[in-house]
Amino acid sequence: MPSAPHPYLFLALMLAVGLVFCLGMLGLARLWAVWVSPPKPGLTKGAAYECGLAPQGDVGIRFQSQYYLYAIIFLVFDVETVFLLPFAVSFTGLAPGAFVAIMVFLLLLVEGLVWAWGKGLLRWR
Amino acid sequence: MDEGLRSELSRQGIFATTIQDLYNWGCRNSIWPLNFGLACCAIEMIAASMARFDIARFGAEVFRPSPRQADLMIVAGTVTKKMAPQVVRLYNQMPEPKYVIAMGACAISGGPFKRGYNVLKGIDRYVPVDVHIPGCPPCPEALLHGLIALQKEIASQKLTGPSRARAFQEEAPGEFPVPEYGPYDLVPAKNTDLWRPKPIIRDE
Amino acid sequence: METLEQIKSRLEAAIPGLGLEIQCNGAVPGQASLVVPPARAIEAARFLRDDPRLALDYCSNVSGVDWLDRVVEEHARVTRVIDGRERVFDECRERRVPGYLEAVYHLYSMRLKHGPVILRQRTVNRVDQARVTSLTPVWRSAEFQEREAYDLFGIVFEGHPDLRRILMWDEFRDYPMRKDYVEPDDYEYEPTPHDDLKEKARRHYPIEADA
Repeated sequence: MPSAPHPYLFLALMLAVGLVFCLGMLGLARLWAVWVSPPKPGLTKGAAYECGLAPQGDVGIRFQSQYYLYAIIFLVFDVETVFLLPFAVSFTGLAPGAFVAIMVFLLLLVEGLVWAWGKGLLRWR
Repeated sequence: MDEGLRSELSRQGIFATTIQDLYNWGCRNSIWPLNFGLACCAIEMIAASMARFDIARFGAEVFRPSPRQADLMIVAGTVTKKMAPQVVRLYNQMPEPKYVIAMGACAISGGPFKRGYNVLKGIDRYVPVDVHIPGCPPCPEALLHGLIALQKEIASQKLTGPSRARAFQEEAPGEFPVPEYGPYDLVPAKNTDLWRPKPIIRDE
Repeated sequence: METLEQIKSRLEAAIPGLGLEIQCNGAVPGQASLVVPPARAIEAARFLRDDPRLALDYCSNVSGVDWLDRVVEEHARVTRVIDGRERVFDECRERRVPGYLEAVYHLYSMRLKHGPVILRQRTVNRVDQARVTSLTPVWRSAEFQEREAYDLFGIVFEGHPDLRRILMWDEFRDYPMRKDYVEPDDYEYEPTPHDDLKEKARRHYPIEADA
């Protein structure tokens, strides 16, 4: 009786096939570019895309750190929505323990928001 | 491969093709237009992309917001002289192979604003246009017709040889000079390498 | 709403020495307008906006008008003594009026639902003193339209917060809506040239007979 294949073998096989498929496609595209389609680089073509306007300044500028703070606060509320939606749907049939748990979770998030608010992070300068 | 052999093979259940046909088939059925409109023609373009006319039937429903991913530029509407450099720059930023449809009377020749001070008299003064669609504005069916005409053109393009398509010619320019704002008009007012209208014989 | 004459007399009573003028309009709508001197236009505008009986709180439209130099014929009856007899002559005198630019404001009242009252400001000439006073501080809605009038007519609005070109590009050096504007000559043949186009066609596409 042949021994059963290792359970991770299929996973490894899928990884290999996936890699070969992706790299193969990229390689074909590269071959096509070399073989048929001549590259036509140019100053305008390579320039930064600014909706057709002439690019001004460098592309690699630093964003304000405030931008990231906003992003993080947004993420917090995003996650909150993920939990709040099922919570709202099954609200009537919830056990008291679950209710308290989600309230504690909400409290934590609101606490964080109040803290951010107090620090003045919500004011865009 | 000659036509007789191919039809004989297909009768036997064997599909034979050339790389050129395969390439053109893929190319013409996935023309992704650049997502921009300049005037009222853009409304018709939007209508063409919506359910009633459904440009997706021709594989051109993926309007790309970036020129890096677009194959087709539908110049839909009046090109003002202030907008012309931007349009040319967008064309330049598109990767090869790229096609241009001039949609509507304004994009072709300036249309009703031809004698105005601020309207470019046709986008083909700066970029090569593959299909002109007359109308003011052309109805969505006309745009679809223009798209089909472009597909036919793509289907017959050659990958090699002296008459190969512009995208495959090493020496053919991939980008065209962007006009600049001058004190009275765009400088230059037209790309003379590109825009050579036939001499007109006036008869009176 | 009050008539323009009433508005004029009240304005002049409120702002002494203003020097208003009523410009009649001979066209079909017959909307007469109030010509205010640019130097004190902002006071007059404030009065029109804040006066409780007028309350013209909405400036719907700012337009420019270009008046070229023109010759006005004035007919007058003159009595002259010729050969000892008095005779009446019709005399026609020609007077040259130098050109100027105008900024025209159409004012309405949103609160009292009346209007329009039309306000005009005139520049001294069309060349170096094409200046009027910006009414943007009074009516915020005038901002872009005054920029447009500056762009297309070359009327300089003094006191405007941001007087730049709005439609044409910044490098443009002409005022295309002026009557003496000459467009760049990139004429193209049209299938049915007529009038001045025919003349242009003759110049651009000569046939042997003309050349």
